Amino acid sequence: MWRAGAGGRRLARGARAACRLYSQTATRDTIFALSSGQGKCGVAVIRTSGPASGVAVLRLTGTKELPQPRSAALRRICDPKSSEMLDRGLVLWFPGPGSFTGEDVAEFHVHGGPAVVSGILTALGSLPQVRLAVPGEFAKRAFQNGKLDLTEAEGLGDLIHAETEGQRRQALRQMGGELGQLYRRWSDALTKALAHVEAYIDFSEDDNIEEGVLSQVDTTVEILEEELRVHLQDGRRGERLRDGVQVVIAGPTNAGKSSLLNHLCRKPAAIVSPVAGTTRDVVEAALNIGGFPVVLSDTAGLRDTNDAIEKEGVSRARERVGNADLILAVLDAAEMAQQPSRLAFSLQGILPPTRSDGAQPCLLVLNKSDLLGVQNQEGLLQACARLGLPPACLLSCKTGEGLPNFLSTFKEQLGHMCGNPLLGSPSPTQVRHRVSLTKCLEALGRFGRHRDLDLALAAEELRQARRLLGQLTGQVGAEEILTLIFKDFCIGK
Amino acid sequence: MLSLGRSGPRVAAAVIPPRRLRCTRNDTASAAHSFGVPRYDVVVIGGGHAGTEAASAAARLGAQTLLLTHKIDTIGQMSCNPSFGGIGKGHLMKEVDALDGLCARICDQSGVHYKVLNKRKGPAVWGFRAQIDRNLYKENMQKEILQTPCLTVCEASVEDLLLTEPEAEHPGKCCVSGVILGDGRRVHAGSVILTTGTFLRGVILIGLEMHPAGRMGDQPSIGLAQTLEKLGFTVGRLKTGTPPRLLKDSIDFSGLARQEADNPPVPFSFLNEVVWIKPEHQMSCYQTHTNPKVEQLIRDNLHLNNHVRETTRGPRYCPSLESKVLRFPNRVHQLWLEPEGLDSEVIYPQGMSLTLPSEIQEQLITHIRGLEKAKIVQPGYGVQYDFLDPRQLFASLESRLVQRLFFAGQINGTTGYEEAAAQGIIAGINAGLRVKGKPPFIVSRTEGYIGVLIDDLTTLGTDEPYRMFTSRVEFRMSLRPDNADSRLTFRGYSEAGCVSQKRYDQASRMNTMLEEGIEALKAIELSSTKWARLIPEAAISTNRSSSCSALDILQYQEVNLEILARAIPEPLKKFAEWRQLAQRLKIEAVYKQPVSIQKVEIEEVRRDEALQLPEDLDYFAINASLSQEVREKLDSHRPHTIGAVSRIPGITPAAVVNLLRFVKVSRQRAEGMSNLSRTDSPLPDADLLGQRKIQIAAQNVFKQSH
Repeated sequence: MWRAGAGGRRLARGARAACRLYSQTATRDTIFALSSGQGKCGVAVIRTSGPASGVAVLRLTGTKELPQPRSAALRRICDPKSSEMLDRGLVLWFPGPGSFTGEDVAEFHVHGGPAVVSGILTALGSLPQVRLAVPGEFAKRAFQNGKLDLTEAEGLGDLIHAETEGQRRQALRQMGGELGQLYRRWSDALTKALAHVEAYIDFSEDDNIEEGVLSQVDTTVEILEEELRVHLQDGRRGERLRDGVQVVIAGPTNAGKSSLLNHLCRKPAAIVSPVAGTTRDVVEAALNIGGFPVVLSDTAGLRDTNDAIEKEGVSRARERVGNADLILAVLDAAEMAQQPSRLAFSLQGILPPTRSDGAQPCLLVLNKSDLLGVQNQEGLLQACARLGLPPACLLSCKTGEGLPNFLSTFKEQLGHMCGNPLLGSPSPTQVRHRVSLTKCLEALGRFGRHRDLDLALAAEELRQARRLLGQLTGQVGAEEILTLIFKDFCIGK
Repeated sequence: MLSLGRSGPRVAAAVIPPRRLRCTRNDTASAAHSFGVPRYDVVVIGGGHAGTEAASAAARLGAQTLLLTHKIDTIGQMSCNPSFGGIGKGHLMKEVDALDGLCARICDQSGVHYKVLNKRKGPAVWGFRAQIDRNLYKENMQKEILQTPCLTVCEASVEDLLLTEPEAEHPGKCCVSGVILGDGRRVHAGSVILTTGTFLRGVILIGLEMHPAGRMGDQPSIGLAQTLEKLGFTVGRLKTGTPPRLLKDSIDFSGLARQEADNPPVPFSFLNEVVWIKPEHQMSCYQTHTNPKVEQLIRDNLHLNNHVRETTRGPRYCPSLESKVLRFPNRVHQLWLEPEGLDSEVIYPQGMSLTLPSEIQEQLITHIRGLEKAKIVQPGYGVQYDFLDPRQLFASLESRLVQRLFFAGQINGTTGYEEAAAQGIIAGINAGLRVKGKPPFIVSRTEGYIGVLIDDLTTLGTDEPYRMFTSRVEFRMSLRPDNADSRLTFRGYSEAGCVSQKRYDQASRMNTMLEEGIEALKAIELSSTKWARLIPEAAISTNRSSSCSALDILQYQEVNLEILARAIPEPLKKFAEWRQLAQRLKIEAVYKQPVSIQKVEIEEVRRDEALQLPEDLDYFAINASLSQEVREKLDSHRPHTIGAVSRIPGITPAAVVNLLRFVKVSRQRAEGMSNLSRTDSPLPDADLLGQRKIQIAAQNVFKQSH
């Protein structure tokens, strides 16, 4: 038996046991977020706060010791699962309570490219008891720990407003109407399913709520699971960032496709010769162009041939072109300048038939500009514009003329396809979405497992799934669930 | 009660001199008479479900308490349905019981049909319910109330409040110091609790007729309503209804579906292992349905129905039969025929609230199967009444406008006996603590359904009679009926003083054993192949190479403690032998995972709730970047804490952060939290200087704004 100090009331052992049973100390989550602002930034700062910050630093840097507190250390930053290097950057370690939030804080200062940032955010999210921060959470923790003075609170409020509210709305806009609509549709379906489960829990015993309601919910959940799964697999942009953009160089023989590949690789990856049909198989090279990972493929020149090997090469080239994310269509500028009207026809010969999901992005590369006079060059570009062809670049692989211009057009095109690091930071947003959707999918799976054994547990998973989806589309309160219940059911008891 | 007695302008029951019905030795001292005016620590107005719990709780704290009621005979009256509990409501009763309240214990002495609802849906949502014998309940409740030490009961009506200057250290424009009775006499009080239910400007409607009355046969309180309005309280209007009562002998039950009670019946109270009635003596309920003829009759007579046509908000979940038919046409609606008591000749048709003229009610029931020849002993009626916007209350249920004045029950916009009882016990405790000068006893929404109920009411208000549902509760996995005692009994004992030593000791014993049991189960670790051999009943998957504990095995649906103890008698036998303990251990095992997840979330919410906003913050004057829309929302909801701010629909995270600088951190909460978490420097380790700076700055802002 334990006695409190003078005047204190006696608390039996059972009472203390109850305190432990009911409110056992739970380790607080560790939170992380991209802390640097939006817009053009060479360096991105990713911050974590909470007890697992130290572990996060160790896991991401693959070291056994933390850096000196409060001083910058240059470290390799790797994915803890695959050990693949994500970037080299500065790591700062602020042990609590002498930190911004009063908790253990770590900062990763890394290159601002979307692949790097999203890679690090994903890596952090995969650690146990580490999760993305909700808006305002760093500030709130700082405040709770007495680390925030008045001006900071005010300034932070504005910053959070700019970053979170703005970002969320902007993200929904950027997602395009289609994706936003999709998320809202899921959100509505899930809210309704949840309302029906809640109704079944709160009212089925006395009111006319049949078990049929639950089988409807099952169907909704199954459909949602399937749609989420497909959606997560089909995150084309995300995949492009992870696996590289498939860029295929295609065109008639001897247009200079392999020369272009070698120029972009800055090394002779492919054999070049003035003989048409030199390249017979697909030659691949992985490149980093303007921060974007690119898999560049050089293909056999497209022509009718009787050579069996070349024939196979041409058919592989056509297949590769059909699956490309971006096609670099290479034509002989000198040849085209003689008959600008053949431009459209020649391009058609390269591009595959239009796919069901729309025409593939394409850049028109007019090689051998060194063979043309200035006047002819301008005439050719004007002809391209007049015919409504894809963006055209005039260059010479031989002299290097026009290559810088081509590279900047190329980068711009890649930016459109992957999310441009110069426009906001869509990739962290995408990581956030991906994290939420993946966890939502997991929760839906657990719903099915608990469904017949303990409906309260199953409902908890649906609540969790709804909360996660709510991070993308806005939260739904208990009152809205009740409104749905009373709209759909006549509760009479 | 059953006759349709007219409640005319008859004067309130004559006030008898404050009749000390039963007192303890030491209460004469503080219930002193100064110049002939009696003085009590706490005066409770109203003897319904909120009033009885409030009076009993205040008296348990040792406060000299006076309960004022129109008629002692109506104390503990169940004025609507003859049942207690249900899903969500049963949770409230368990919590009231954990705080040593009355209703659960009285129900264990008065029920005629006990049933646990949702038995197949998981213990977190089990709904403990019973059909109650009205007379027994009233009798047992009156016995309990009249025998409570420190509690005096007196028949009187209350016409007005005595008011004085406000205390400087609390917000509020004046302070209540007593009440004026119907005959003009005064009673002084340290705190006053109003639990007048539907009696404030209550009007009864049957068809096109209207009678002023709180309940059939009882007069409404008009003087009090005027006083509250004069003081500036915002009052709204709500409506509810009750079905006609039927003569049992006139009903043909033979063709109706019968609902049997549970055998064995499960008691409500943590103190009881069995209920008073023998399982085989329990009564049954019967089920019947509406049909197209009933629907047609209601449609044809809508012009005779003032109550349904009017716009006052009624509950969406307990609608009159008229509203059901209108909102969900062409459907069959369920009706339950419930007994009113062992010796009662009356049947209560649940789900058949009606306000049509009585002749049409008589006509209507003859279309219903089983009721073809049924006789109505009292027609159904609607009630419209004033309620107080509960956002004018603190979480202690003390009003913001008038110091030491508390409100509890239906007057705050709720419906249901259990919701009333839950508020009553909290108001009673806090009225008592207020007199003693102690800090209020607040149940947070992370701790109980009571907390959710009061937080919803005082933060969001309501525009329909508020009823408890489990869907309102965020932490449903943790706030279960089985662990209400672990959550509240010890706090009630040490912080409020409303829990008896007996209950405290019993709860302590249970919790010691629970913890021992969990430790013992955790300590038994075997390989899954071995478990599969030991417990062939369960489909234990053997492809896991790591060993698992007995606590993990207990999670399997087919496994219970008895089965485990058969396989491993030492040390599990002693846990399996105590039935309630064994069941609670099983529940702990099943919910281990979600509860541990919720613990992290609960702690976040608690941290937010420790950040309190000043009571009288002028949201229109403060210098913070908040939009006009957000300011308006904050002003109308008057959140108490940052946690409450974040629950107001439409408040942005940025607004929350901007409000942080107006926050004062509650010492008491902070200390409570330090026990919870020492590892990651929570509030107590905080930079106190910084907090002081914030408080001073916040005070300066107030000075500027006044």
